[in-house]
Amino acid sequence: MLEAIGLHKRFPQGDTAIVAVDHFTYRFGPGLSAIVGPSGSGKTTLLNLLAGFDLPDQGQVRLGETVLSQQSEDARSELRLRYMGFVFQQWNLIPTLTALENVAFPMMLAGKRLKERQARAGELLEAMGMGRRMHHLPHKLSGGEQQRVAIARALSLNPPILFADEPTGNLDSASGAKVIELLRAQAQGGRTVILVTHDLELAQKAERILHLRDGQLIREEIIPSLLPTP
Amino acid sequence: MEVLALVYRNLRARPVRSILTLLGIVVSTASMVLFLSFGEGLRKALGAELSRVGPAILVLPEGVDAFSPGYPELRPEVLKRLEALRTPLGITQVIPYVVLTRGGFDPQTAFIFQGLPQGLGPQSINPSLEAKQGVLVPGARGAILGERVALRSGLGLGRTLRISPTVSVKVEGILKGSGGLSDNVIYVPLEALQAALDTQNYTAIAVSIAPGHKAEEVAKAITARIPQVSPQTSGDVLKFAERAVRISDLVRFGISLVALIVGGLLVANTVMMSVYERIREFGLMRALGAKRRFIFGLVLLESLLLGVAGGVLGLLLGEVASAGVNWYTVGEVGLALSSVTFRLAAFALLVAVILGLLAGFFPARTASRLRVIEALGRV
Repeated sequence: MLEAIGLHKRFPQGDTAIVAVDHFTYRFGPGLSAIVGPSGSGKTTLLNLLAGFDLPDQGQVRLGETVLSQQSEDARSELRLRYMGFVFQQWNLIPTLTALENVAFPMMLAGKRLKERQARAGELLEAMGMGRRMHHLPHKLSGGEQQRVAIARALSLNPPILFADEPTGNLDSASGAKVIELLRAQAQGGRTVILVTHDLELAQKAERILHLRDGQLIREEIIPSLLPTP
Repeated sequence: MEVLALVYRNLRARPVRSILTLLGIVVSTASMVLFLSFGEGLRKALGAELSRVGPAILVLPEGVDAFSPGYPELRPEVLKRLEALRTPLGITQVIPYVVLTRGGFDPQTAFIFQGLPQGLGPQSINPSLEAKQGVLVPGARGAILGERVALRSGLGLGRTLRISPTVSVKVEGILKGSGGLSDNVIYVPLEALQAALDTQNYTAIAVSIAPGHKAEEVAKAITARIPQVSPQTSGDVLKFAERAVRISDLVRFGISLVALIVGGLLVANTVMMSVYERIREFGLMRALGAKRRFIFGLVLLESLLLGVAGGVLGLLLGEVASAGVNWYTVGEVGLALSSVTFRLAAFALLVAVILGLLAGFFPARTASRLRVIEALGRV
C-alpha cells in the first residue's frame, strides 16, 4: 500500500549538505513496523517524506498507484486526510477544542455531518477509555490521555495507514504501555502502523523493525510470532 | 461548528488583547458614524424645512444661493416685472422679503430678522406655523417671534425690540415651536427692515404658483424673461444642498478614514500575532488534512468576526454620540443636526466588514502558506 522507492533527501548546510535519508527503499504492509535508529539517523525526515509533509530530492513515495511527490500540497493534504492517521510526540491536539471536537476535526474536514462525527468521535473515545473526559480541553488532560485522544482522532476516518512518531516519548511507562497496546491492536486489525522511535525496547513490540543509520536502512528484523494472523 | 468554536475560543483565549482590538474598531467605526451623521442630519433637517415652505419658487439675485442671501440686491423693478408675469405664468402670489442678521454667528446671541410685506405674517412663507401668544400678522411696527428666540431673549408680548438706532418694533405675537429654523426668526414688517438697512431692495422674492403648473417650468420662464435673477425651486435648493453636503461628507469621511485605518491595522496586528502564536496548530491542521483555503478561511473568519462585532458596537456607540450631539444642537439652535439613518448604519457595517476582511487578508495568506514541516517544527 505505502512504498518508498529510492528516497533521498539532503539538507544544505553551508558549503556542504547533510544526507538525512539515503536511497531508502521499502514496502510497508499491514501490521506494526518500527523505524528505529539513534538521534540524527533520519527517522523524522523519513516520516516527513512518507507522509508527504516534505518532498524527496530523489525517489518517490507511492500510495497505491499515486506518487505523492507528483501531487500538489493540497492534494497531499487530501490524501493524508483519506488514507493516513497521525500520532505525534507532542503538539498533538488543537488546544482550543475539546477531546470530542479534536477527534471530530478530521471528519469535519472530510465533510461528514455533525451528528455522524459526534457519534463516531464519542464511540472512539469510549473505546480508548476516554468516555468521561471527552468534553475536556487538552490542557485538562494528562499526557497519556492526550495520546489516547490523538489515537482516537487518527482512527476517526478509518484510514489504512497510521503513523506514530515517538508516541510514548513524553509518557510514564504505564501510559506508554497502554498507548503501544492500542497501536498494536490497530495493527492486529490489519492496519499499516508505522512507529518511529529511538527506543529499542519499544520497537520490540513491532513485528518488523527497520534499523536506520545515517539515513540508510541497514537492517530489517522480522519477529514472526508477532506477525498478524492472515 | 468546530470552526466557529475555534475562532470564538481563540479570541476568548486572549481576552485582553481581543477586547483592546475590538475597542479600536468600535472607536473608529463610532467616529465614522458620528462624522457622517452630520451630513445625514443636515439632509434631513433641510428636507423637513423645505417641506414646510409654502411658495414653490424663490427668486434670488443672479449668482446668489438660498443659503447665503447677503445684502438685499433685488431692485423694485424685478418685483414689478414678476407681478406682470402673474397671469401668463400662473403665479398666484409674489412675496418680496428682506433678511437681516444681527449679533454674529453665535446661535445664542444672533438675531435673524425676516421682513414681510404689510398684511402678511410668517404663515405666508410657512403655512404650518401657529400662534402661541398674540397675533400671527404683525402691525406696521410689530414683530412676531419664533418660540426659541423669544425664550432665549426673554422677550414677551409688548416688549420693544430695537433693530437699528432709528427703527424699533414691538412684540405682538409668539409662535408655537415647530422644531425648525422659524423658531429662531423674528418676523417684522418689510418696510421696517428696509428702513433699518436704508434700501428699497429685497433679499429674495417668494413666488407661489397655481395648481397644475410645474415649478421647474415657471422658474425657467422667469429666467428667460428676467435675466438678472436666479429662480430656485425646492428641488434646486435640495440639489445644491446635496452637492454641498456630499463634498463635506467626503471631507469628513476622509478624516474618519484615518481612524478606520488605525482600527484596521490594530486588527491586522492582533490577527498576525495570533497566527505566529498558532503556527504549530496550523501545521497540525495541515498535517491532519486541512487544505490551504481552510486555514485561510479560519484566520479570515477571526478577523471578520472582530470587524463585525466592532462594527455593530461602534454603530451603537455612534448612535449614542449622535444623540448627544442632537441634545446639544436642539438646545442651541432648535435643530437636530445629526442623524444615523439606515443607509449610514448599513454603510458603517459594510465598512467594518471590509475592514475586517482587509485586515485579515495578509495574516490569513501567511498562515495558509506555511510549510507543514516548518509549522510543525519538524525540519
